[in-house]
Amino acid sequence: MEYIDAPPAVNFAALSTMVGTAPPVAQDVTYERILRARSEPQNWLTYYGAYDGQRYSPLDQINTENVQRLTPAWVFQFGSSGFHAGQSTYAFEAAPIVVDGVMYLSGWDGWVWAVDARTGRQLWQYKHAIPFDVSLCCGNVNRGVAVAHGKVLATTLNAHVIALDAVSGELVWDTTNGDVRAAESATVAPLVVKDKIIVGSSGGEFGVRGHLDAYYIETGERAWRTYTVPKPGEPGSDTWPDGPAWARGGGNAWVTGTYDPELNLVYWGTGNPAPDFDGAVREGDNLYTDSIIALNPDNGEIRWHYQCTPHDVWDYDSNMECILYDLDGQKLLAHFDKNGYLFTLDRRNGERVRITPFGERITWGEIDGDGRVTPKVVPDKEGEPVHFWPGPAGAKEWTHAAYSPRTEMFYVPVQDVGSEVTLRHREFKESIPYWGASVTVDADDMQGFVKAISAATGEEVWRWRNETPMSASALATAGDLVFVGRPSGEFTAFHARTGEPLWEFQTGSGHHSSPTTYSVDGRQFIAVPVGWGSWIEGIVPAMLGASHGDAVFAFALPQ
Amino acid sequence: MTTRAEQELPELYGQNKATLGRLLAHGGLGRAEEGSDGRLHAHVRIPPDELMWEPSIVVMPHGGDLEIELLNDDTNTHCALLPSNGDSKWMWLPVYSRGKTVLNLDGPGYYWFGSNVGNDEGRGLVGVIAVMGDVPQEARLDRPEQPRP
Ligand SMILES: [Cu+2]
Repeated sequence: MEYIDAPPAVNFAALSTMVGTAPPVAQDVTYERILRARSEPQNWLTYYGAYDGQRYSPLDQINTENVQRLTPAWVFQFGSSGFHAGQSTYAFEAAPIVVDGVMYLSGWDGWVWAVDARTGRQLWQYKHAIPFDVSLCCGNVNRGVAVAHGKVLATTLNAHVIALDAVSGELVWDTTNGDVRAAESATVAPLVVKDKIIVGSSGGEFGVRGHLDAYYIETGERAWRTYTVPKPGEPGSDTWPDGPAWARGGGNAWVTGTYDPELNLVYWGTGNPAPDFDGAVREGDNLYTDSIIALNPDNGEIRWHYQCTPHDVWDYDSNMECILYDLDGQKLLAHFDKNGYLFTLDRRNGERVRITPFGERITWGEIDGDGRVTPKVVPDKEGEPVHFWPGPAGAKEWTHAAYSPRTEMFYVPVQDVGSEVTLRHREFKESIPYWGASVTVDADDMQGFVKAISAATGEEVWRWRNETPMSASALATAGDLVFVGRPSGEFTAFHARTGEPLWEFQTGSGHHSSPTTYSVDGRQFIAVPVGWGSWIEGIVPAMLGASHGDAVFAFALPQ
Repeated sequence: MTTRAEQELPELYGQNKATLGRLLAHGGLGRAEEGSDGRLHAHVRIPPDELMWEPSIVVMPHGGDLEIELLNDDTNTHCALLPSNGDSKWMWLPVYSRGKTVLNLDGPGYYWFGSNVGNDEGRGLVGVIAVMGDVPQEARLDRPEQPRP
């Protein structure tokens, strides 16, 4: 029997109406432009919209008067093809970047897309092949891309850092950033600073040693690596016991940082120490876990740190945003921590300005105005359950608060869910979960809030209650609107000054991402990726079985 | 103690016996071989009426480019959806056809491939490409060797 030639293999995307290329708008995205991002409000040039992390846009075409007329302008849907890793736990968590009418974003399982920001039409796609067997703490997710110098930069679940050609979507360079055999992975959106990108690692729940790395945008060559857990002899190593604990200490930097160009400091939150709950094997404060660290982006040197939860035994990562803002001549940094407290620091030196609670029920311990931490509920007896609020999901998850310089208020998605934790000591082995406890998250008694907090005092101005914890980022605009998505699928606009809900749209799947606003040809859009999943059993266990989509919705006023 | 499925429960082994399709990954294991071109090479065939890849586990000794030749010896048409950096590769496999494509996989772990027509995958046409080896030394953690399971 003679074989015939099979038709040649094609890239799967060739079997679609995808355009294949994007206009060369990313060519001119430079560090200088990202520095002045707020002067081009039609674009959303970097993860939080600007280096200060405010998630605020000066666009005001959509405002409190007309938001009721907001309607979907387009929907980008993808779905998956073939087998993809962790089907039960994927979520759409990206923060879309928009440059001159082109949207760049990433999805679960190694996907990166360019989409026409006016119509939603797919321009190109890139797929990084992800092994099915990678260790993932908290779902098959990616939080977005960075764009600069004609490249789209992203991290992958198998701990690579990649650069794609922004016109064609083709791979330009691929650098390995972590060791998948040690259970390292990557989910962070890179941050462009000067000629480099900075990325953090994931894997703290498996007992790795967290690190931040900088790579040259042009070549992918590594410029520096800074570990967030010091080895013996390095500054901070006296906060770890003798023995192997430091080498498995966690402290991963898995959410994007912010940057103050005047001080030339990058601010980055670090994750929980490993093992999460078994503190006996790591006596001491465990620096630099659960900390805000300020680094010199040129060489990775740690200039100052502030630890939010010393010797954490509650899984209170401090990866959350560091919002930079100036008030009454002060240079401030605001950080809403999983432990339920808002930390306001002087961002020049890390000195404490004030500490105020924003979580609803806080029983694990107390932090007073002088920063003294008094633990109250500690899982320290083998086999004996303890219960505390907030549970390991925190009073706020990794998703971000927004700050409006118009109202001088923060808008914070709040989770109010507790957990029962029982110490279960285990020996460390690479790539095996390393928690040191059995965990059951409350599924009944839970709620969520959007809270508006005064930036001047740290006090609550208004609140809006939701049936379930709020676990998506807020967006604030100069139209005095605050947009936040809900686990039940609604995307909701609030009056920034009063908290009154003004508009809502049911998107069909829960929100666990970061909305973006931009404009094309003078028309303002609000875009939000929806797709419920990832570590829902820890955040909103009562919503684990909810609809599971994957779409970007873009809303605008009717033309 | 493990026994082979066909010994343990012969009525489970094969198409449309105790179950409608084949159990997963029962087409054996094959190793990709390094060619003088620096590429890895592998051959995978679909035997008649088996609805499976043979081998259904393709082992790459390390990440890199794999030139894979697919042969359809079955009297039905199938296809292949294969993982690769950049985009998945997709290929028609008409009756008695063969074709080659090059995949790029950049690190250790295992990746699925399948024939995504007519629930071929559920019936047995699903396979694994397993990439062995470690990540480059410079990407590994600066710490002493740690215990592995
Ligand atoms: Cu954690």
